[in-house]
Amino acid sequence: MSQNIPQVQNTGAIKSAEFVKLTIFNEFSNSANVTTHTFSSAYRNETIDGAEYLALGGLLSVGSQNRDLRVTAGDTNISLSGVSGNNIQIVLDTKIRGSEVEVWRGFYDDTDQLDDYYLRFTGVITNYTIQEERVDNNDNFIVTVSASSYKTVLSNRIAGRKTNEESWKVFDPLDTSMDNVYSIAGVQFDFGKEVTASSSGGNNGGGGRRDRDRGNEQQR
Amino acid sequence: MSGLQTIINKCQGMEIDRRKVVGIQTTRNEVARTSETPTFNPWRINLTMPASLRYNEARALMEQLDVLDRNTPQVVTFGDASCLSWIFRYQGSLAVSQLNQITVSSFIGNQLVLTNLPAINANRVMFEQNDLIQIGNYTFPFTSTTKVTRGTGATVTVTTHRPKIITGAVNTANITVGNACQFYMFCPNMPTYKLVVGGADYSAGGTLVGNALIEFSGDFSLYEWVATA
Repeated sequence: MSQNIPQVQNTGAIKSAEFVKLTIFNEFSNSANVTTHTFSSAYRNETIDGAEYLALGGLLSVGSQNRDLRVTAGDTNISLSGVSGNNIQIVLDTKIRGSEVEVWRGFYDDTDQLDDYYLRFTGVITNYTIQEERVDNNDNFIVTVSASSYKTVLSNRIAGRKTNEESWKVFDPLDTSMDNVYSIAGVQFDFGKEVTASSSGGNNGGGGRRDRDRGNEQQR
Repeated sequence: MSGLQTIINKCQGMEIDRRKVVGIQTTRNEVARTSETPTFNPWRINLTMPASLRYNEARALMEQLDVLDRNTPQVVTFGDASCLSWIFRYQGSLAVSQLNQITVSSFIGNQLVLTNLPAINANRVMFEQNDLIQIGNYTFPFTSTTKVTRGTGATVTVTTHRPKIITGAVNTANITVGNACQFYMFCPNMPTYKLVVGGADYSAGGTLVGNALIEFSGDFSLYEWVATA
């Protein structure tokens, strides 16, 4: 959905800052147990949607985000300072992968006060890297988290059940629907063929398609 | 006087860099468009040192600089030496006693509102452009970007060169102006020093004492330490 942003309309100069919200889910089975980290490139702490975004200077860069008319899969990277702060601890000591990430852009007025803000990206952390750059006496760390949009996550999602006895009984141990799968696995089965008394197992199965063909021939 | 303050006092050249983080694009039809992130906009000052410091007189300074290294900030001022005090001299017309009674009413964005103003003529200039203003004990000076006169109201508003980067409460805080302001700086490139021929010292009763001149590997690029603002 397109959105009007008055702060960038009819002007040649804009003032903006990036705001990143990281929601880490601490428990698989309890979505309410979360730890939230918020940081920004702003000069002061700002409150957006009830969350205070800290201006600790930990945000180094935010990668580009695709904006397409139709839903497309887009990834982005968020780089955080690994010097001081607790960013290395965040990625090493928490369930960072699978965390939800939101990137907002806030616009400032001429007196450097936050005017309005807009959500730019929502996705899930899929990976992280810690990079050490040591050149002579200069030693720096950069923490980068990679985030994928929800479409990518859904595309890669494997869901459902396998058609075998074990998988079928995970949810209902009394369900015997797939109990015979092993005995007929790998057997050529002719679905639809009339069952003959001599046929045992699936080798001779049904032959409905041939019967239908035969019927068509008779009509002709 | 020690470390970076000595460098400031003895430097032979000074370059001030207050440029903001700005993106500039020029469109195909040559219309310039800019984007800016309001940042802490720290003070950056490059100091060029003469190669005339005598080693035997500068050993304490060398040690102080080595201790500071590239990661330790220090409070410095430009009012320390009379030869420097003109740089950020207060240009307004208020006396020290009148300045001392002024307090901060509010500071939002880059709008600094001052109150408890002295009863003076409305046309009197309180701040000229580029006058430094320090809030309380926060060693992060702001400049006045416009000429501010007393006016007739109970308050005056000063537009500062950068937004309020101070996280603490500033309401009712006093102000310091001009070369009395302090800067909290560190030197991320802290130059190394080389001993070169020269600096002969005959001070010890006319006897030649082994000595050298100090030559630094580059300028001192001071950078404001705003992490604790």
